[in-house]
Amino acid sequence: MECKDLPTVPLLEIRKLSFSYEGSASLIFEGLDLSVSAGEFFLVKGASGSGKSTLLRLICRLNQPVAGSVLFQGGDIAAIAPAKLRSRISYVAQIPQMIEGSVEENLLFPFSFAVNASKLRPDREKLKEMLKAFYLSEVSPDHSAMKLSTGQKQRLAIMRAILQEPLLLLLDEPTSSLDPESAAMVFSIMEQLNLEQQKTLITVMHGDYNPEKVLPRTCILSNRTLHCSS
Amino acid sequence: MNRIIDISTGQLMLALVFILAAQASSFIYHLGLNRDITIGTLRTFSQLFLMGYALTFILKTPSPWLTISIFLVMVVSAMFIIRERVKEKQIAYIIPTFLTMLISYFATALFVSGLIIGITPWWEPRYFIPAGGMVIGNSMSALAIALERFFRDMRQKKELVEMKLSLGADYREASDDIFRNAVSAGMIPSINAMMGVGLVFIPGMMSGQILAGTDPLIAIRYQIIIMLMLVGSTAVSSVIVMLIIRRRCFGGGDELLVSS
Repeated sequence: MECKDLPTVPLLEIRKLSFSYEGSASLIFEGLDLSVSAGEFFLVKGASGSGKSTLLRLICRLNQPVAGSVLFQGGDIAAIAPAKLRSRISYVAQIPQMIEGSVEENLLFPFSFAVNASKLRPDREKLKEMLKAFYLSEVSPDHSAMKLSTGQKQRLAIMRAILQEPLLLLLDEPTSSLDPESAAMVFSIMEQLNLEQQKTLITVMHGDYNPEKVLPRTCILSNRTLHCSS
Repeated sequence: MNRIIDISTGQLMLALVFILAAQASSFIYHLGLNRDITIGTLRTFSQLFLMGYALTFILKTPSPWLTISIFLVMVVSAMFIIRERVKEKQIAYIIPTFLTMLISYFATALFVSGLIIGITPWWEPRYFIPAGGMVIGNSMSALAIALERFFRDMRQKKELVEMKLSLGADYREASDDIFRNAVSAGMIPSINAMMGVGLVFIPGMMSGQILAGTDPLIAIRYQIIIMLMLVGSTAVSSVIVMLIIRRRCFGGGDELLVSS
C-alpha cells in the first residue's frame, strides 16, 4: 500500500475575521486571516488599542466575531462546547487574577471544573518542582497567592494554565506590568515552554522582546489586519 | 371588648409628627432624605387610601376577576419598584423577573389561601389579597437586593469570572459564588425575621388581627403560615430569577456580556 503525505491541518486558522464592539460602527478587524501550526511560537505586535488582546479573546471565544470564523484543529470553534474549547486553548490575561487562598489552591481549583475532572491532578511534589521551573522556588504551595508580587502572580497564572495541558497557550501582554527582571523570567518561561515542551504559543505585546533561544514568527497588527513579514 | 377603636382624620394627622421627626433628622444631619421622605409619606397615604377604597368595593362585590386584577396591579407595581432600585441597562431582566414573580407569587397565595387555610372559594379577597400582598412585598425586596448584588458583583469581578472561563469553567462554575452570594443576600432579611419574630417584634398582620379582636392563639397560627410562606416564596422566586438572569449575562459561547 502506497503512503502519501496527508495535507497538514493547522492547529489554528482564522478566516476573514471581522470584529467590532457592540454599539460601535467602526471595525477593530476586517477580513483578518491567520494560520498557526502546532509547536509554533507566534508573536503579535502592535500599538495600544490596535486589537491585540481582542484577537486572543476571539480565539478562545471570550468575544464573538461579527463575521468570519476561527478553526481549531480543523473544526469551527463555534461548534465546540465553550468549556471544552477553553480546556484546550488557555488564555492568560494581562493582569493576573488569583482567587482567595493558597498558591496550591490557586493552581488546583481549575481541576474542580467538570471539563477538567478527568485530568490528572499534580501532587504536591510535582507542584514544587514546577514552581521551581517557573522561578518561584522561594514560594511555598501554602503561601497566600494574594500576597505575591505582580511578577510572581503572572508566572503562577501561566503555570496554572499549563497544568491544564492546553494545546494552545494565549498570553496577553504577559510582561506589560512587570519590572525588567520579572519580565526576563517570563520571557525565559515562554521560550522553555515552546522549546522544551513544544507548546504552541501566541503572545501579544507592544514592548520590545528579543528572544534568546527561539525564533518566533512575528506579525504586526495595524489598520484592522495583520501584517506579516515573509 | 372586641371592637377596634376607629381612628379619626385628626388622629391620623397627629401621626405625621413621626414624619416631622424624620424630616428634622434628615435636615439637621444633611442626610439628603427630605425629598424621599415627603414622597414616601404622600405615596403611603394615597396608595393605602386607594387600596382601602378598592378593598371596600371588592369585599362588597366579590369577583375572581377583580381579585386577580388587584393582584396583577400589585405585581406590576412591585416590578416598577424593583426597576427603580436595580439600575441595570445592559442585561434585559425585567420580563423574566416579572413573569417569575407573577407565577410564583400567584401559586404561593393560591396554596396558602386555598389549601392551607382552606378558603372557599380560593380567591376570597379577604384572604387572597392580603396573603398575595405580603408575598409580593417581601419577595420584591429580596429580589431587588439579589439582583442589585448580582449585577454589581458581576461587574466588579468580571476579570475573575473571565479567568475561570479561560481555565475551562462553564458559565455556572465561573459565576457560582456570585450567584450564591446574591441569593443569600436577598434571603437574609426573611431568615432574620424568622429568628426575631415573637421575641423582637410582633409582625404587622398578627398585630392587626389582635387589634381587631382575634384570639392571639389564632393570630399566631396565621402568622406562622405567613412567615413560612414568605421564606419559601422568597427562596423559590429568587433562585428562579437569578438562574434566568445569570444565563442572560453570558452569550452562546459562555462569554461574559456584562461590561464594566
